[in-house]
Amino acid sequence: MWNKRLAKLATKYPTGVLSVADVGGYPASVRLVARLDTKRRVVTFPALPPYAQGWRGKACLLFHRHNSRLEGLHQMVLKGELVEEGGAVTLHVTEFVTANGQTKTDEMPHAERPIQLLQFLLLGRRKAREYERKRGEPWPPIDYAEIERLLHEDQ
Amino acid sequence: MSALQLPDEVAAVLRSYYTCEVTTVNGKGQPMTWPALAYYDEATGEIFFSVSIAFPVKAQNARKRPQVSLLYSDPTGSDLDQPPAVLVQGDATVAEILEMTPHVSALNKLARQRQPDSGRFQASNLSRRLFSWYLFKRIGITVRPKRLTVWPNRDFSQTPSVIAVAESEAADVE
Repeated sequence: MWNKRLAKLATKYPTGVLSVADVGGYPASVRLVARLDTKRRVVTFPALPPYAQGWRGKACLLFHRHNSRLEGLHQMVLKGELVEEGGAVTLHVTEFVTANGQTKTDEMPHAERPIQLLQFLLLGRRKAREYERKRGEPWPPIDYAEIERLLHEDQ
Repeated sequence: MSALQLPDEVAAVLRSYYTCEVTTVNGKGQPMTWPALAYYDEATGEIFFSVSIAFPVKAQNARKRPQVSLLYSDPTGSDLDQPPAVLVQGDATVAEILEMTPHVSALNKLARQRQPDSGRFQASNLSRRLFSWYLFKRIGITVRPKRLTVWPNRDFSQTPSVIAVAESEAADVE
């Protein structure tokens, strides 16, 4: 389903990463300029790289960015289908997915935004409990002494 | 596993890019790509990254379908001059991180170097209590490269060159 707000945010990225499932038996990706057509609710590509010329079918388009301290993280993925229309390859979007579980922003949680951080904490704890429940036994105790030792090694 | 024989500029990318874009494929054939911080073990030729147990989709996909790819296309923070883009396609093995292996230790160190705030976060008792599911309860994914595709200067309008990894390079040599 098209998400107007996330689509608007996606237009701010100069490039995205387009991926398909099978090129020589493995998934493959290229970075390219992507244009979101909000009227048609599709993504077009002004210059599809030669490597991706034959790509059709299920695909996804990742937008992400970070700064030189690996902060200011933003990321979202558009899932969809690559089809040929009028001689051009177009991504028909079926879903917008954010890594933060939100539908209004692609910004990853950060300590400077406590509400986002709290929402992420609640989501993560719930999901982790689900994982442990399926796992059948609780995660073994964490060796904090070893972690302390490694942190001291850094200093 | 033996080291990969890679051109210097390609090895530098695997070593220095802060993130790569990891693609796994689910049971319905849908690719999903997310950025990840990955450690390149030059001694073994393997690439290692991890995911929180709260967001295990990449790991679950790779367990069912080990064929994965990692695109190194964003040099932000790497300090490399005109580096290439590199697509690594390879086979993944997946395992919960239940002890501090050399790969885990090296990846954690890399994360603290590249993201200094993460070290402070790990050092805080409050963060440890609240975010143990994110910081310490993780699943490791180790990738053995099979093929590397290289775009000089990250120019995707060009036809890339391909480096196939020889079987002997990918084989265990213990």
